[in-house]
Amino acid sequence: MKTLVVGLGNPYLTDDGVGVKVAYEIERILASNQQPATNHHIDVTEASVGGLRLMELMIGYDRVIIADAFTKPGERQPGRIHRLTLDDLRAISPTQHSASAHDTTLVTALDSGRALGFHLPDEVIIYAVEVENVLEFSEEPTTAVAAAISPVVEAVLQELKT
Amino acid sequence: MSAKRITIDPITRLEGHGKIEIFLNDEGDVDKTYFQIPELRGFEQFCVGRPAEEMPRITNRICGVCPEAHHMAATKALDALFAVEPTTAVHKVRELFYSAFYCTDHTVHFYALGGPDFVVGPEAPAAERNILGVIHKVGVEIGKQVIDCRRRNHHVIKMLGGRGVHPVAGLPGGWSRSVSPDEQKEIVEISRQNIEFALFSLQLFEDVVLANQAYVDLVLSDAYAHRTYYMGTVDANNHINFYDGMIRVVDPDGKEFVKYHPKDYAAHIAERVEPWSYLKFPYLKNVGWKGFVDGNDSGVYCATPLSRLNAADGMATPKAQAFYEKFYETLGSKKVNGRYQPVHFRLATHWARLVELLYAAERMLELAEDPEITENVRAIVKNKPTEGIGSVEAPRGTLTHHYVTDEKGILTKVNLIVGTTNNNAPITMSVKKAAANLIQKGTIVTDGLLNKIEMAFRNYDPCMSCATHSLPGQMPLEVVVWDAEGEEVERLSQFV
Repeated sequence: MKTLVVGLGNPYLTDDGVGVKVAYEIERILASNQQPATNHHIDVTEASVGGLRLMELMIGYDRVIIADAFTKPGERQPGRIHRLTLDDLRAISPTQHSASAHDTTLVTALDSGRALGFHLPDEVIIYAVEVENVLEFSEEPTTAVAAAISPVVEAVLQELKT
Repeated sequence: MSAKRITIDPITRLEGHGKIEIFLNDEGDVDKTYFQIPELRGFEQFCVGRPAEEMPRITNRICGVCPEAHHMAATKALDALFAVEPTTAVHKVRELFYSAFYCTDHTVHFYALGGPDFVVGPEAPAAERNILGVIHKVGVEIGKQVIDCRRRNHHVIKMLGGRGVHPVAGLPGGWSRSVSPDEQKEIVEISRQNIEFALFSLQLFEDVVLANQAYVDLVLSDAYAHRTYYMGTVDANNHINFYDGMIRVVDPDGKEFVKYHPKDYAAHIAERVEPWSYLKFPYLKNVGWKGFVDGNDSGVYCATPLSRLNAADGMATPKAQAFYEKFYETLGSKKVNGRYQPVHFRLATHWARLVELLYAAERMLELAEDPEITENVRAIVKNKPTEGIGSVEAPRGTLTHHYVTDEKGILTKVNLIVGTTNNNAPITMSVKKAAANLIQKGTIVTDGLLNKIEMAFRNYDPCMSCATHSLPGQMPLEVVVWDAEGEEVERLSQFV
């Protein structure tokens, strides 16, 4: 099985970079063999992209684990960790429509990729950390979000063992 | 009560991305519209105190859409900052990389964003107006070609730029790796495929849009037309160049207004601040700010694919030149003093983008076949840094980076004018015009309002976030309509 771990976000935009920091940490742990080896092929990467380009990164993998920042509509609790699946993402954006800058949603991108016959992961797991500040430039996340990094790393490593 | 008495507090309007507010007058007609986006704060403070040579790697993170454009503008600013003139081999490798980027970027805009309005149809439900809808309409085979085009060019970007998503190869005066003969062969083949794909896309545009009178009427309708100044980068022959050249501005009649070196931008561009928006409104200093209005007396200018075509005398490659001529002839432009009159129909920007796609592909092939690209691309920096300005044409407008450092190269001042910011005033005007057509005498045509307004700004390919893309990974567009009494009368959003 081929697994891709993707840290998403902008590492220079305060809490937006939480996913990238998770990816760096996982990369470090895997490289230092602190975790028992599995038979799986695991790649770790990071990117500040969404939609199509993110889907394209996933081509050829059986499973993808994403770590990302999350702005939850309604009540907010910075640092809270959500484990989401693609079905959850569908529920968050039910219209599948993007008025966004330059791309489409991940769900639409994956549906498109599948319609085109690309080998895309059956399993996409998203560790989403609720953020406090994604509008100011800084390399340091806020305290609550920084505290979520270790638990997310641990959770992703657990996923990788299965 | 006069509409003027409505107070607008920007603080209360920061909760959403891409929020549009429409204010009506006493007659129930559109008085003002505000197109608002959240501003990312503290970029200059973030950069000041860092070594300038980090900028190509920092700025390519501020935008998840066009990292390559920021990387290149930053690299060129470093050339100027350290006063090291790149060799022609360096320029060619960089431009080759940049052409591959254009091939991916213009492709995704047409097929994933702008195209769905035409290919799937402007009246189609929002849920179908996306790339999946395009695939359903035109077939899986074409969808595959779109993704293949992106994949092969991302491969080139990774090969030349050192990384797949956020390139790292730009150095002051140089580029961190040259091209091997094997890589050169591969890129030549990829460039040829890009030309075929661009020709195919232009044919698709003709078959789907130009062959459909309803679409042609829409493109040519006054609802989506504005007479403004146009900006673009041109080479020595006044042909479009994305990577390097002089900035040329033409007036709404197509007469050259000014041509200047990018380093002199501050003498020509001023930035207007409006109390309701954190994003500034650049305008032509030597025309002056007259408000959000069309015409030769208004300093509003536009910097988009359409603008670049209008600002240039033609394309530097033969196939793109043929389509350039077809573009103007078809849209009814007359030649005056040897050059076509500007096309003011904003929806024609989608077609202009495809003409540029073909140019990028042809230019890529020219560069890929050039033996010089396999030469050494290193440079030695000897001069003390002071100040540097670098500029490229980002797909969505002229992009300028301006750095000032101390003698050790530590940044003391940073200023960026990003592609979309150039178009802030024209976008505002286009949104207002689209709204005014749908809201008259207090009657609001809510059906299709959101989409028609989206179409008005989508042709600019606005890169609104320039970085933040927290889940759910799309920006909600919200339109709020207020009457002259300051009461909210309508609120539309694509989030259910």
